[in-house]
Amino acid sequence: MLASAVAGPGFVPPSTNDFNLPPVFGNSAYSTKPILLVFLSIIVISIFFVAASRKAAIVPGKLQFAGESIYAFVRKDLAEEIIGSGFLQFVPFLFTLFTFVLVNNVFGIIPFLQFPSMSHVAFPYVLAGFSYFIFHAIGIKKQGLGKYLKGIAFLPGVPKFAYILLTPIEIATYFFIRPVTLSLRLFANMFAGHLLLLVFIGGGNYMLHDSHLLMKILSPFSFGFGIAMTFFEFMVQCLQAYIITLLSALFIAGALADEH
Amino acid sequence: MKGTLNLVGYGLSAIGPAIATGLIFAAYINGVARQPEARSVLQPIAFLGFALAEALALFGLVLAFVL
Amino acid sequence: MASNEEGALWSILGYLISGLLIWGGIGYGLDRWLDPHHHWFMLVGFLLGMGASIYLVWLRFGRE
Repeated sequence: MLASAVAGPGFVPPSTNDFNLPPVFGNSAYSTKPILLVFLSIIVISIFFVAASRKAAIVPGKLQFAGESIYAFVRKDLAEEIIGSGFLQFVPFLFTLFTFVLVNNVFGIIPFLQFPSMSHVAFPYVLAGFSYFIFHAIGIKKQGLGKYLKGIAFLPGVPKFAYILLTPIEIATYFFIRPVTLSLRLFANMFAGHLLLLVFIGGGNYMLHDSHLLMKILSPFSFGFGIAMTFFEFMVQCLQAYIITLLSALFIAGALADEH
Repeated sequence: MKGTLNLVGYGLSAIGPAIATGLIFAAYINGVARQPEARSVLQPIAFLGFALAEALALFGLVLAFVL
Repeated sequence: MASNEEGALWSILGYLISGLLIWGGIGYGLDRWLDPHHHWFMLVGFLLGMGASIYLVWLRFGRE
């Protein structure tokens, strides 16, 4: 915006249109870049973990060590710590969620791919939908439908008239706000991060090709900040993959616990 | 350049709750670091303070869209 | 509860947002129905929803 103010018209700031990519091949809506990246992520994850676990030895090699430490992180630090007893049956779901989101996020800063597929909101919605279905199904299975709903809607130890105020909020939180915040947090972080990188790299590019000498001299700062932001983005991407898994585990733990 | 001035106002008004949240958790972390057994006493207070500060930020957000 | 402080913070935010949306939405509906030119019911709804959410946060997390 500053560049356009100084140098007149010509600089096009990045917008949401930069996220509507044309199909890579053919003319179908199913061959766009995010969808191909999702398939690529499935292939990458499968190959990596099959290779890591195929020659499992007591003294692990480098590859096996990498695979096992990711698995141990999800299993010990997330599942066992938060869910507690009976955590083992949720480890596959949490592990799949974590690796899938992590790889898809990190695609945002890998050269030539450079597009986080989670910046299209449909993917986080589906992931949050899985998590939503699982934690409600567990709660209903564990406590029975009536008791589960009663535990959500009516908090014990409250005067009767307060239920008129509180029950709509509780129901809205559990059934509508939770999945939406779960997915929107991931989406918004990836979307904003990609936009930020577009601003700095695109702005640097524009300044480098500007006729004014001062702009040419200043453009490396824009590129440098873009590179610094890339490393910052890597941190945010790992953190968001961790957070969506953590919150899914917390919701599952909340549904498993007897009283809310 | 298009846009509404409401969002600029919301951006300014969000500074206050942001500083408040920072102060609340700075004090909470300080307290727990000095005296770890005080955690169970401090935690509800910190959460309530966070909720009150965050309520103001959400009011600003909603009013920026509504007005 | 000490191990899931982040989770507690996110659910506090969720409670506040849904309180605002639910009661503010009810107030907005009343406004559309009764008096489309003013927003008094919506204002009351926002205040009521925020008060109820903070009360709910106190019930869930504030009392030990």
